Amino acid sequence: MKKTFLIIFFAGLLVSTAGCKKDLLDQSNPNTLTTDQFWRTEADAQKGVNAIYHMFYQNGGFNRWIYFRLDLTSDEGFSKSPWVELADWTRFQYVNYNFWEGNVNTYRDFYKAIFRCNQVLENVPNIQFDQTRKTQLIAQAKFLRGFYYYYAAVLWENFPIVTTTQRPEDMPKQSTLAEVWALVEKDLTEASSGLPEQWTGNDLGRATKGAAQAMLGRALMQQKKWAQAKTALDYLVTGTGRNFYDLVNYQDNFRAENENNKESVFEIQFSDVNKNAEGDNPNSNMGSNRSQFFAPRSIGWSDGQARNWIVAEFKKEKTTDGQIDPRLQHTLFYPGSETDFGVKTYGRSWQWDADEAWFKKYSRDYMRSNEDYFNQINNRVIRYADVLLMYAEVQNELGQTADAYTYVNRVRARAKMAPLATAYPAIGNDQALFRERLKTERLLELCGESVRWADLKRWGDLDTQAGVNRVAERDPDFRNFVVGKSIRLPLPQIEVENNTNLRQNPGY
Amino acid sequence: MSKTLPFQRRFWRPGKRLFPGGKTVLTLLILWLGISAAVHAQNQRVTGTVADAKGEAVPGVTVKIKNTNRVTTTDGSGRFSIDVPDLQVTLVFSSIGYAEQEQALGGRTSITLTLQSDEQALEEVVVVGYGTQLKKDLTGAVSVVRAQDVKKRQSTTVSESLQGLASGIKVRGGGQPGSEAQIQIRGLKNLSGTNPLYVIDGLVTNAGRDFNPADIESIQILKDASAAAIYGSRAANGVIIITTRKGKEGPLQVEFSGKSSIQTIPRYDLAGTEEFSRINFMAYDNAGANRQNLDLTVNTDWQDVAFRTGNVQDHNITFSGGSNTGNYLVSAGYFGNKGAVISTGFDRLSFRVNTQGKKGIFTIGQNLAITNAKADEMSGNPIIDVIRMLPTIPVYNAANPGGYGYGDEQRARTFGTNPLAIADLEDRSLENLRLRGNIFGELQILKSLKYRLNLGYETSRDHYKYLKKDGFWTLNQAFDPAIANENRAESATKLIENTLTFTENFGKHSINVIAGQSYQQDSYAQIWGTKRNLLPNPSGGYYDVLDQGNEGLTGGFRNRTDIISYFGRAEYNYADKYLINGVFRRDGVSRFGPEYKFGNFPSVSAAWRISNEEFFKVKWLNDLKLRASYGTLGSSNIGPYDYIPLINTFSTIVLGPGQNVQPGATQVKLANSDLRWEELVQQNYGFDAAFLDSKLTVSAEYFIAKTKDVLLEYPLLISTGNDGGNPRVNGVTLGNRGFEVTAGYANNDNPLKYNVTANFTTLRNKVLDLGYNKNKTYVGNTVTEVGQPIGMWYVLQTDGLFQNQAEVDNYRNAQGTVIQPGAKPGDIRFRDNNGDGQITNSDKVVVGSPWPKYELGLNFGLSYKNFEFSMDWFGSFGSTVFNGPRSVIERFDDNSNYPAGIQPWTPQNPNTTTPRAYYASTLNSRGDTDRWLENGSFARMKYVAISYNLPADFVKRAGFSRAQISVSGQNLITITKYTGLDPEFSNGSIFEKGYDFGAFPNLRTVSVGLQFGF
Repeated sequence: MKKTFLIIFFAGLLVSTAGCKKDLLDQSNPNTLTTDQFWRTEADAQKGVNAIYHMFYQNGGFNRWIYFRLDLTSDEGFSKSPWVELADWTRFQYVNYNFWEGNVNTYRDFYKAIFRCNQVLENVPNIQFDQTRKTQLIAQAKFLRGFYYYYAAVLWENFPIVTTTQRPEDMPKQSTLAEVWALVEKDLTEASSGLPEQWTGNDLGRATKGAAQAMLGRALMQQKKWAQAKTALDYLVTGTGRNFYDLVNYQDNFRAENENNKESVFEIQFSDVNKNAEGDNPNSNMGSNRSQFFAPRSIGWSDGQARNWIVAEFKKEKTTDGQIDPRLQHTLFYPGSETDFGVKTYGRSWQWDADEAWFKKYSRDYMRSNEDYFNQINNRVIRYADVLLMYAEVQNELGQTADAYTYVNRVRARAKMAPLATAYPAIGNDQALFRERLKTERLLELCGESVRWADLKRWGDLDTQAGVNRVAERDPDFRNFVVGKSIRLPLPQIEVENNTNLRQNPGY
Repeated sequence: MSKTLPFQRRFWRPGKRLFPGGKTVLTLLILWLGISAAVHAQNQRVTGTVADAKGEAVPGVTVKIKNTNRVTTTDGSGRFSIDVPDLQVTLVFSSIGYAEQEQALGGRTSITLTLQSDEQALEEVVVVGYGTQLKKDLTGAVSVVRAQDVKKRQSTTVSESLQGLASGIKVRGGGQPGSEAQIQIRGLKNLSGTNPLYVIDGLVTNAGRDFNPADIESIQILKDASAAAIYGSRAANGVIIITTRKGKEGPLQVEFSGKSSIQTIPRYDLAGTEEFSRINFMAYDNAGANRQNLDLTVNTDWQDVAFRTGNVQDHNITFSGGSNTGNYLVSAGYFGNKGAVISTGFDRLSFRVNTQGKKGIFTIGQNLAITNAKADEMSGNPIIDVIRMLPTIPVYNAANPGGYGYGDEQRARTFGTNPLAIADLEDRSLENLRLRGNIFGELQILKSLKYRLNLGYETSRDHYKYLKKDGFWTLNQAFDPAIANENRAESATKLIENTLTFTENFGKHSINVIAGQSYQQDSYAQIWGTKRNLLPNPSGGYYDVLDQGNEGLTGGFRNRTDIISYFGRAEYNYADKYLINGVFRRDGVSRFGPEYKFGNFPSVSAAWRISNEEFFKVKWLNDLKLRASYGTLGSSNIGPYDYIPLINTFSTIVLGPGQNVQPGATQVKLANSDLRWEELVQQNYGFDAAFLDSKLTVSAEYFIAKTKDVLLEYPLLISTGNDGGNPRVNGVTLGNRGFEVTAGYANNDNPLKYNVTANFTTLRNKVLDLGYNKNKTYVGNTVTEVGQPIGMWYVLQTDGLFQNQAEVDNYRNAQGTVIQPGAKPGDIRFRDNNGDGQITNSDKVVVGSPWPKYELGLNFGLSYKNFEFSMDWFGSFGSTVFNGPRSVIERFDDNSNYPAGIQPWTPQNPNTTTPRAYYASTLNSRGDTDRWLENGSFARMKYVAISYNLPADFVKRAGFSRAQISVSGQNLITITKYTGLDPEFSNGSIFEKGYDFGAFPNLRTVSVGLQFGF
């Protein structure tokens, strides 16, 4: 009897388990959305576009390392970092092309941003919703893609173009600088036509038509396409866009207060709300690390600092009321600032070497005595003063030097500097002299705002050994500069090795 | 007898003293079992030893007085004692694998018996998955590791103790308290996690640090496809089958083993302040930099700060017994390890109950293990920190937040971490409670047909805790407040398994067939939380619960994998001459997409016992069997949802005047939705032979394995924009060919008995095809190319130092270009391999292989009367490895400590291989050169021990039936040219296996052990 019972018991178990259902094998991910579930609604499209802006908060780009490339590599800045390799990468001593902080992180984050742009550009057109809003979203993705390719063109030049979402096995072809510029122009032109002139409320900070036109102007100027550049910038200076822009208090461009003001053409929105590491994790940092890395020794990492020659440059010309150029105290921490302006450095009197200086813009010296990784001050990537000086440069290059004075004067006037013709009557309509003066004007107005490297390239100052030697007088790091090679970064070695379509940049 | 319940009989025990031994044991026993016992009058005691034909002690032999119920078993040394009513009875000795023997006492009180191998069993029974086979009938490659060889070593995990005990097994790791070793069976067969499959009492699981090795009865390692195919889709990396101990027929046996060890960590020979400052000043002077203001009054030995003498306590007690209808075993263990690095430790408490009972055709049994394991984890990497910190930095510095000394911009520019500071300011611990068990029932439906149901369940509750206190441990550290982070997780495995076994003999034919079906579900879920700005506790420390503090964050996730399997095995044996074995398994797993869920894994193998043929009767050859096998195995060692592309929803942004937070979402990581099984196809050819009265045994194997569609995280191009790790892909085809020999010789003819076993493994891996149709993949300093082994060293070649300016000027290529125009005397000369007149990445060449050419294990045993001596050696030869720590201490561009006695080039001291000291230039210290490559060969005495069995009468007087004391040592002797801490290092990088990133070294351990039983 017991035996029978046992047999029945086992038989029952056997039957119940042997019939395992195959649908047990269909386990879906309980943790997050799949790509199949996404790209279906307007909200999805909006989130997809927002995720591109989020790339501003990651290390390779405007959260941290790009300032080493744009500010420290130029003759405005340099590095005394005890992290030798980090410093080597600001002085053209590129040994390991796979150096993460110097090269690969930025290269990777650019492609991460481009991947996000491409996802929007491929998926959003297929979602049904309001056409105007759809156009604006697509235009923002185009703006941002053009934005990243612009900087890729400035840094690596022959940066492989990727305009579709990649499969894991895809190997893009080698691209030339001209091809990259062509893509930048196309993306920014298309972006401009779809972007609104202004955003309001909680959309303030998104790319506008003016931002697209200004970026396009920059891209065209780098290619010396002066006439087209003028057309692009006309919108902001003489066209309908001019009503949206003006110059504001100089220091309001570098502080957490008065953000997105009338001078702002395109501004990266930073916040200190999340005090966590950067990345794609929950509540990751939306602030900037720049000031933590650029703050003076014993306040921040002090991995980057300004060249002291700039101080003298500021002091060459007094204001109309005989004072030191007021922009100096907002641009640099330097040994004489307490004497000159009664301004201390993070509340300290000068305790660093007499020949040193540090970048002050976007620092929080005015509100606290230390720094951290969560700087909330927006980075004004393009401000109107820059646009005016660009416009002046374009006019000068087009032989319209006389017309160019107005715009330079407008920028100078805010700093209480006399009109250019008054201060430097010798320039007159001499294109070359005017160009040389503009170089100084741009330095005094824009120092530490990450435009100098592109400026040096555009001006051709690095194209000849003689030019490089002149730059090296201001910044001895340029003694390492090899004409024809150091003008662009090496592509990451790992990428050249693993993508058989690629050639390393010349000389590397 | 059959009416006697096992539980009644286990208390019956001959002997005047009921429970000899310590009072604690007695109390424990009473508590444990709540017993009372009958005392049986005794007349005479008979003692003896039982050995096998090789003279090795046979433990666990049942000794029974014929026609009575009185039974005992032999101990670990083959000894027994039994009380007999008179000296004319006959004793019956039986043990699996041996022929039963009867011995009439004929007045003797002492018996020495040699058991002869069973006609049917040349050797022991081997567990081969869902059943057993006689070892002599094996047709595939299976290694059997004796449990006592594993247990004699002081190790935290089973895998750590397997090294050198079987051919084809490579083990790396250990050292840190609670760390788990990496184990590789027959080479690197895929690139995603090469740990083999562990099967413990039928449950597919892993034998991590919370599994007590003392509970092991036997270990079988299934190495080839025919053996492992029964585990199909999960068997590609080999299978390690662990059977835990069972009670043996006989009265209650109590066994205690205790081991106490001390551990020391190998050390670097580093400069002190005088030497350091001299060279540091030289480096600054050469670079034209202002010398640092080093504090020459300080001379800190950072190794004294970070390292200490560790110790291990490992104690186990086992109670077991049984009858012919049932058995039981209860064991408890404690393992405590104070690490050889400050602020590290590991504790394990384990408890096990295994029982089994039988009535008629019905058998039921269970195994249950409960373990609690807690590791106090290491913060930072002290192995690197001790070389990064300068001797001129004081341990404590009240001026720094937290009070510890570290780098300083003016006085000691280094970003090294103060190991004491980080150990004190960061606390990390991981604790888990694991329950692992199974319950099975068997029904002998017919004499030849058996049904078995096995239900397995395993769960672990994990708790990770992290606390960061206020304070700094390195120069320029960004400020963080006190932070607490905790996570709690639970994992569970459920298994239902049905098997039918059919066994029948028809004359010379014998057949064994197993068919079965199983369903397994694995799940894991975790929640975590973190808080910043913890509330300080005025009495010291912090309130480190998540209630306190602010800026809280939480998160969590859960995973589940389901596997449905059908399997079968058929064995056919004709006259013990011809053996054929076929296995088939079909697995379905939820980890793959709809079209790729199921995979089939067949294998066949055959053996020919040539020595049983009439034409092959040779006197000196006792056994010769030829084997061959062919089969397919799988691997799906990937995440549960890897084939599904996901959207990351954490890309928030701020916009607008109020910096309003807005959500973002996008795909970050790419996925390959067509993921499928990785397939290993393996051929194995081998023979087993025994010579000279089976004193000499030899087994040899040759295998050819090919792994297709390897599932790996193949590095993608950066231009894909992928982040969050490389997606899995069926990317690579790898080949492995290897040759393994094991030879043993035992001589027990004299009182001085000895045995030697040597195993030899050689193996070569080769990439047959690379992912995404590529020919090469570069990772770090390595290149992996089709036709070559994985991860060959690919670096610039150095060619000595420039001795003078003329050498620099004359170092030109064919066109006359000066190759290193910037070099100065004392700088490294690099080879311009492509002849283009400059040193660039295109001058890199393949210079060596990280893979050893062969590996050797040597086990040696000797016994004389009560003494036993044993020694295990392991050697690995022919690899080239990268000494990472040396690349830190022998550079001068950045401040780290220097090795003692380093001789940088100077004009006065040109006879050196070390370039000139030069601060802040990477040109001489670049990491991608052959300067740091070294010969990785080594031979190491893994284990040496001497033990003494206390004399029987002495032991008896103390109330025990056996007692042994032993002294042993591990890793005491290492012969190598490698200059790092340990040539036997491991790392987690597949493509850079030979890179010593500053791995935690194997420790030197000296142990004292005591074992006794009654």
